[in-house]
Amino acid sequence: MEKFLANSIYIGRGLGFVLQLLGGGFLIGIIVGLLLSIFRYRKASVFLVERFVSVIRGTPLILQLSFIYFSIPGICGIKMGVLSAGIIAFGINSSAYVSEILRSGIESLPKGQFEAAQTLGIPKYYMWKDIILPQVITNVLPALVNEIIALLKETALIAIIGGMDIMRRSQIIAAEQFEYFTPLCIAGVYYYFLVLLIELVGKKIEKKQSDVKNP
Amino acid sequence: MLKIHNLHKTFKSTKILDGISLEVEKSRIFGLAGPSGSGKSTLLRCIQQLEVPDCGFLECGGKTGFMFQDFQLFPHMTVLENLLYATKFVDKKSNDKKESKKNHMHLAQNMLKKLSIEEKAGIYPRSLSGGQKQRVALARSLMIDPDIFLCDEPTSGLDVATIQDVVQLLKSVNEVGVTMIIASHDLDFLTKISDRIVLLKEGRIAVDIDVRQQPDPAAYLKRFYAASS
Ligand SMILES: Nc1ncnc2c1ncn2[C@@H]1O[C@H](COP(=O)(O)OP(=O)(O)OP(=O)(O)O)[C@@H](O)[C@H]1O
Ligand SMILES: [Mg+2]
Repeated sequence: MEKFLANSIYIGRGLGFVLQLLGGGFLIGIIVGLLLSIFRYRKASVFLVERFVSVIRGTPLILQLSFIYFSIPGICGIKMGVLSAGIIAFGINSSAYVSEILRSGIESLPKGQFEAAQTLGIPKYYMWKDIILPQVITNVLPALVNEIIALLKETALIAIIGGMDIMRRSQIIAAEQFEYFTPLCIAGVYYYFLVLLIELVGKKIEKKQSDVKNP
Repeated sequence: MLKIHNLHKTFKSTKILDGISLEVEKSRIFGLAGPSGSGKSTLLRCIQQLEVPDCGFLECGGKTGFMFQDFQLFPHMTVLENLLYATKFVDKKSNDKKESKKNHMHLAQNMLKKLSIEEKAGIYPRSLSGGQKQRVALARSLMIDPDIFLCDEPTSGLDVATIQDVVQLLKSVNEVGVTMIIASHDLDFLTKISDRIVLLKEGRIAVDIDVRQQPDPAAYLKRFYAASS
């Protein structure tokens, strides 16, 4: 029992690291994804954005992560920590998926909403910020929650560049104690707990938004 | 105020507007009649530059306001927010922001009152009836203080009393010098409000009447609908 507790604590110390990766990665993902989806909608840079999204979605994340951590320093001489490399890689990867989610949200909005903003003389920046994106984000919220969950599960790949996350810690314990069952179960419980938490927060936000509209 | 000469518009090889020419002087109310599908909305959308004409000349001498036939209210904003949102971009040069905000607020509430929907100010569009949405759309498009008001079907979902509200509001806006082009199926409404009515049919102007010189404009125009079927 004491060993179980100690193992749980040791594995749990990876929680903060995972949350940093997830938070940083998703923040970059949503910002870059927003910009990509708007650029793409403006048709000026459709081709570039399409290629970018296609390459990111068409190559393994594990390759992208290794590329950023191992080969970027060699090319431009920038030294990166495991955490920053992870955040950048997960952020860029997630931005491609987020931009596709937002794109479908933007395209499914009635064209009249853009026209209404135009006829009312609302400047482009404010049209996106106050008219289009608030509606789009409400509509795609469930898809965004799914994307965060997918990203959380993918953070386990950080182990390949030496990140001490939940997964890696459980493997270390397993290797030390020659027993896989318990440490992997502990790791699974941590991940699953995080997923439930994200789902709960997503549901709360959804409910809050529909309450505002149906008082 | 508005000059159109020989305007053509085609959608997917169907000719919708086939050489429209007209001229509207300042402060006039111009009615646009015609059977469903005759191109009333398309003409208004061309004037507002929401559609690009195939060819023709179009000159618009002032800021336009536009009311959509399908309203296009912003669903994530309350009625009052719908009315007020765009006003902050109207007189940007005015140095007294507070004063202009107050004036717009006053204007919005006044407009809602005139249209008998003042108690709906805090409500979201999804819980309004069709006719209420229509009046909110009308009020919103007038909030930006246009010189020319392009209005697509302002009365299609309204009862007699509410139509009277709309007539009065439009007349009071017209009195301060706003030119109006109003597309509508409601010939009695058009007769009541317009100085001049044009009837579109098969992409052309079939009739062009001065309302005051016609003894019974609505009856006269009705005959052209019958002939079309
Ligand atoms: N974006 C579009 N693409 C293709 N066809 C269109 C488009 N917009 C309008 N049309 C066609 O143009 C014709 C005229 O439409 P419009 O909406 O201008 O008619 P309307 O006179 O306003 O009719 P209503 O009185 O029913 O509102 C219709 O046959 C319609 O199908
Ligand atoms: Mg129409």
